[in-house]
Amino acid sequence: MDFISNQKAQVNAMLEAIGAGSIEELFASIPQNLKHRAPHRDDGLSESEGVILMEEIAAKNTFSSYESYLGAGAYEHYLPAVIGFICSKSEFLTAYTPYQPEASQGMLQATFEFQSAICALTGMDVSNASLYDGATACAEAMLMALRYQKERNKVVIASSLHPHYFSVVKQFLSSHGTLIERIPFDKDGSLDRAKAEALIDDQTSAVLLPYPSFFGVIDEIKQISAKAKACGSLMVVCANPLVYGLYASAEEIGADIAVGDIQPLGLPLQFGGPYCGYMACRQDLVRQMPGRIVGETIDAEGKRGFVLTLQAREQHIRREKATSNICTNQALAALASLVCMLWYGRQGLRELALTNYQRTAYLRHRLGQLPGVVLMGNAPFFNEFALSFGYSGAEAFEHFRHRGIEPGLDLGKYYPEFNGYLLVAVTETKTKGMLDRYIQVASELMVRK
Amino acid sequence: MSKTCFEKTQPGQHAYSMSRSDSEFDCFLPPLRLLRKNELMLPEMSEIDITRHFCELAAKNVGIDNEFYPLGSCTMKFNPRVNEQCSALPGFSSGHPLAPEEMVQGNLQIIFELVEMLCALCGMEAGSLLPCAGAHGEYTGIKMISAYHSSRGDHQRSEILIPDDAHGTNPATASMAGYRAISIHTNVKGEVDLDHLRQMASERTAALMLTNPNTLGLFNSQIRDIAEIIHGQGGMLYYDGANLNAILNVVKPGEMGFDVMHLNLHKTFSTPHGGGGPGSGPVLCNEKLAKFLPIPRVEKDGNHFKMSWKDVSSIGQICSFHGNFAIYLRAYLYAKLHGNYGLRRIAENAVLNANYLKSKLIQFFTIPYSQSCMHEFVIQADNYLDKGIKALDIAKRLLDYGMHAPTIYFPLIVKECMLVEPTEVESKATLDQFVEAMAAIIEEIQQDPELVRTAPHKTPVSRLDEVLAAKKPILKAQLK
Repeated sequence: MDFISNQKAQVNAMLEAIGAGSIEELFASIPQNLKHRAPHRDDGLSESEGVILMEEIAAKNTFSSYESYLGAGAYEHYLPAVIGFICSKSEFLTAYTPYQPEASQGMLQATFEFQSAICALTGMDVSNASLYDGATACAEAMLMALRYQKERNKVVIASSLHPHYFSVVKQFLSSHGTLIERIPFDKDGSLDRAKAEALIDDQTSAVLLPYPSFFGVIDEIKQISAKAKACGSLMVVCANPLVYGLYASAEEIGADIAVGDIQPLGLPLQFGGPYCGYMACRQDLVRQMPGRIVGETIDAEGKRGFVLTLQAREQHIRREKATSNICTNQALAALASLVCMLWYGRQGLRELALTNYQRTAYLRHRLGQLPGVVLMGNAPFFNEFALSFGYSGAEAFEHFRHRGIEPGLDLGKYYPEFNGYLLVAVTETKTKGMLDRYIQVASELMVRK
Repeated sequence: MSKTCFEKTQPGQHAYSMSRSDSEFDCFLPPLRLLRKNELMLPEMSEIDITRHFCELAAKNVGIDNEFYPLGSCTMKFNPRVNEQCSALPGFSSGHPLAPEEMVQGNLQIIFELVEMLCALCGMEAGSLLPCAGAHGEYTGIKMISAYHSSRGDHQRSEILIPDDAHGTNPATASMAGYRAISIHTNVKGEVDLDHLRQMASERTAALMLTNPNTLGLFNSQIRDIAEIIHGQGGMLYYDGANLNAILNVVKPGEMGFDVMHLNLHKTFSTPHGGGGPGSGPVLCNEKLAKFLPIPRVEKDGNHFKMSWKDVSSIGQICSFHGNFAIYLRAYLYAKLHGNYGLRRIAENAVLNANYLKSKLIQFFTIPYSQSCMHEFVIQADNYLDKGIKALDIAKRLLDYGMHAPTIYFPLIVKECMLVEPTEVESKATLDQFVEAMAAIIEEIQQDPELVRTAPHKTPVSRLDEVLAAKKPILKAQLK
């Protein structure tokens, strides 16, 4: 099938108007030896055949039949029904980038509100309209810092940053010969603050810290921020945005740039994307910011309206001198997260974050009581923690999966020093019954030992 | 004027509901010293007010579902709802990106087969769906070229050649990947100036980035010569796939001589653009560059699909997980529905529609390149400057006629440029309406140019002051 309107009668009328004998003639500029013949047999599907095909393929994914405790940068949260309703509206879903602002006031205002909500959440002054995801947001923040102070060419990055994010940062910095120093972590997963402070010097362009870390740890960042500030380095905090419902905002812990992935606020897991990177910063850094920014203005009659602004930073104006090459971003995903933030509101986000924390704390505490279970440590945490059952990863996984539970992430795959450790994420979607089942299955595993 | 949601806040109101807590949960509290002290300054709204707010905003926005949207270089075609329906199937929407591969065989099948389909379509050998948008794909492709040269000990290549009509993302990508962007002239026929290209190509050339058909909507028939010049200097050829719609199953970038390319699935493969994204920008390449593709990659082993995260030659990871899965999932279904037969029909009808529209608009405007166009064409709207009317004014007036404007002032090399791309889906009747609207506007320019110069008049706001926005930036709302 296809979605083409014109049929034979219209095609002939159009060819006549053009003065061409056939559609083939219109392709005359393509060298004959490169051109393929049109296929004769229609090998497409009907809409209903297409749906059957997709249902069959979707059924091969068995993941949703497990109770999952996987997190590690992608979290299962309840999605308020209103999000899907709003994001599927034609006017948002099927619009292009708002190049004609007078016909795009809805999306522009929504994006302006998204920026405002990100500022409220992080405590920062300005936000952009979105970046691809958490990893690229970190990378863009590093490039932004390097542009801000061109004479500096070193960044200091926590080893407990999501390993995928670190890989992407390394990738983006590889073309610029930047020196990357990594802050080690202690046995309990928390950052070695003394080492962090020792690494930051007057050559340091930026410091990048996770909040919480890959191990779920809430580090005490303030002190490191103070050192960064003293050295004139920019502090970049990469956070799960939900953490700000409970723990100190990026501004309160001394961030100059706040980045992360907005996924926990309103986006389904959908195998990793679309997610949505966010970036907010201090006012004086705004002209170094990558990506689109929406600003308020007035129309010819003095009526308020919204436009893409500070475009002198962007590729379509500045070309090779642009702050980034980003053009298409994650606008609709940003809209989804705006709706989610409004649905929860200031009180709801606090409750949601606390609920995540408390359920995590409950599971962590109860598992910690089982003989033989080793928690990674006692550092403060949010909605994720690491522990070891004293088994190799594979054995523990098999035991849980056999009982319908995907118990977490095998940390040893990323950090050999934590071989046998699982990273366990708990959100509001887990009921007490589910958590108790996890504890029960874990205790059966420990008894077997 | 719509109030912002921040101005609609009503103390104490809310939409959320939270599952009941448990006394066994309540005793856990995080350390006080680490908690947030400043109030979270989000609006307080009920669900009905949130819903109405966004319905009010939607009414001030237009998409391809609402009106004709001939935005050149953006391929605004119909977004089939069946794609939306299938991408929301729980089997797809609930998958965790780090789930064990045996639990996500369906997802891996989609990735593996879509790469295969796209490769066959483009005459390439291997590919990756990881890039989240076209520019991200460009970056990935250029990094692969960089890795290729390095692997051969060829470290002197510091320049990337880019025609002066190229998308802004091309030179921006070159800089981001650490290269110097060198601009190549376009000749009077609208093609790459081969003499200039020969002059600029050297042992410093890492690559040429080229869109073909180009941004003037013209197919560069000397493409094999261009490839020879670049390859002769040891450089690589990068294909910007933004304009692939015109050549689906007609001619393949790999056979034109390109080594690596990206596609914009949110253009050619109809995934909805969502008011600015998310998109998807897969990168495809030939044998020479395959080992440099980013990770993770999906491989097929008998009937089993597996994911590989380690490859020492790879440029590494370029995004958090697997790219915009739910977007390229839609493209998979779109490709399956069409088959090779339907994809060819897309190209043919896109080119037919563009040539038809061009043949009708030639009565009103200068058409700088008169030969047959591909899927889009440029108008030089400088015929009414004596009346004080620019391309911008005509574009704004079109909005009053219930049609989205074409792309304006791009490519930069055409004066008062309008780039028009009708796409294959539009009917002759819709194209005729567009011509009628243009005729009416031209008439208005003769009778009452002020009406056009001050357009739009029927949109939710009149012409907006972009200079003021940049001069005195207001970038966030204040809570009432």
